[in-house]
Amino acid sequence: MTSGNRRIVIGGEGGQGVQAAADILAQAAFEEGKKALYIPNFGIEQRGGTSLAFVQIGTETVGSPKFEHAHLVVALSSRSLERLQGYMNEDSIILFDSSLLEPPQVSDEVVGRQTFNTIAPETFAERRLTGQRQKFPEMLPKVRAVFGLPASEMAQTKLHPRVANIIILGTVAGFTKMVTLESVEAALEKRLAHKIERDPALKDLNLKALEWGWQSAGRMLEGLVPAGEIP
Amino acid sequence: MNNGKPINEERQVFMYGNEVVVWAALAAGAEFLFGYPITPQNEIMHYWSHLAPRYDRGFLQTEDELSAGFATLGGIMAGACCFSATSGPGTVLFQEPLSMAEMMRIPLVLIVQQRGGPSTATVIYSQQEVFLTAFGGNGEGLRIVYSPGSHQEMYDLTIKAFANAWEYRFPALVLGDGYQAQMREPVTLYDPPRRGIILKPPSPLVGLEGVPGKEREPAHWRNAFSVEEELYDALKPIIDDFHWAAPTLTQKEEGFIEDAELIVVAHGIVGRSAEAAVRELRKEGMPVGFFRPITLRPFPDNDIKKVLHACPRLLVAESAQGQLAKLIRIAVGGELEHSIEMYTYFRPGLGITSEEIMREAKSVINRKREESLSAVLL
Repeated sequence: MTSGNRRIVIGGEGGQGVQAAADILAQAAFEEGKKALYIPNFGIEQRGGTSLAFVQIGTETVGSPKFEHAHLVVALSSRSLERLQGYMNEDSIILFDSSLLEPPQVSDEVVGRQTFNTIAPETFAERRLTGQRQKFPEMLPKVRAVFGLPASEMAQTKLHPRVANIIILGTVAGFTKMVTLESVEAALEKRLAHKIERDPALKDLNLKALEWGWQSAGRMLEGLVPAGEIP
Repeated sequence: MNNGKPINEERQVFMYGNEVVVWAALAAGAEFLFGYPITPQNEIMHYWSHLAPRYDRGFLQTEDELSAGFATLGGIMAGACCFSATSGPGTVLFQEPLSMAEMMRIPLVLIVQQRGGPSTATVIYSQQEVFLTAFGGNGEGLRIVYSPGSHQEMYDLTIKAFANAWEYRFPALVLGDGYQAQMREPVTLYDPPRRGIILKPPSPLVGLEGVPGKEREPAHWRNAFSVEEELYDALKPIIDDFHWAAPTLTQKEEGFIEDAELIVVAHGIVGRSAEAAVRELRKEGMPVGFFRPITLRPFPDNDIKKVLHACPRLLVAESAQGQLAKLIRIAVGGELEHSIEMYTYFRPGLGITSEEIMREAKSVINRKREESLSAVLL
């Protein structure tokens, strides 16, 4: 698909930074003069619970804030996957954190049939990886492609556990090709401005995470999407 | 530099809906917010209490919504431009202050971000507070109710609510919803006078200069009457005023009506889905139009009648069980009531995407075409 707005849904557990990632992406698109809309899916819970974020970016006026199917579905926990399944169709690209979830069971020409799951939601970002990944029992619908990225593992071992969502943000931005890396960097710095002021090291840490995610997207898309085309 | 005005030069920003409301209220000259927290409008109180000191405005969290409503009325009577915001069960409690505002002609501005109902239901979203905002309370629904469909309209209509509440002296409500409250999209903020919008400076209703009865009329604001004739005499001119103001207050948006075989009618955020659906269907060559009432009270009666004269087949889509549909029935009334063909898509408390509206509209059109085809064959 090459025309129309990109529709992205990111799902995870409360505390994984799903909303921040979606929000920064939408902000970057706005700063570039694109049409952009971000809406969180929120419930009564103050902590924990499944957290979904919906983003639409492009050049056309955005209609309804939510949508039926996403071009890109990002899963950071197995519980969120139960809800994310509804947003998948055969045009969807699925991205999941392969350090938290086992590869999903999907009917997919690229990866083939696989399985999924995650660790508990509490203090997600701080938690050390257990090395155990649960299986996701359900069959996912037929989708365009599935990509696993060990974002949490990368964050924990190479950067800092808290920047796993920024790696994901970089990958999502890289996948959609709707915004430049520079715009996302600017939006990220703007968002973290007061934190960076207190701890200047945070800037480098987050930018590294972002760039790593961005480059991963490029590598994953190689071969799937012809050069110059929007996935 | 800050000259005391919250907005000088126009600027485009990327904001949450609740944030937009606050900037609109600041720009409209609101001086005080009395409120009680309820999701999904909490951030109105958060942003306001954060920004208020910067622009010399005030904030008080009251013990409940009844108190917030009456404190707002009191503040307005004392001569300050006050407003409040609420949702769901809070909107229910607000009916008493709203009724008093109708009876005493107090320009109460209330922002409502609809959540699911009945009762506590969800904190998320619905369009179930249409009747409550338009006709709640004991009385005649002498209120102005705006239903915005975007952040830009949220800004424009909040300013308009202040302007018209003070101009016409009826309570004015902005009926948003949880989606609009919690989503972020671009909006252009402006200083209302620079766009020619006149906002009457507030003036006190009580504590006036001079000796009452001698140097000036007594300021006697009543909401209680001894005999029924007395009430009728007091109420009749208020109702007349409302009817007189109605044609200048009503607002709507419509498109692709001319050759339409079906009109999608929706309001607020669903109106936006409807418009997107219709634009998409037109690309596919489907003869579909849309009508979006922007004022739900007074309802754009004449406009929708005109549209339904041109095309009597309509599809009403709303995140409620027929509250907008009933308003349309009332508006259409008499001559058209039996000739219109109303299809409905009701999803109480649930969002409606443009894809859903496209499917519904297509199915109605195709069904009608099959029917007329089989009629020809017979």
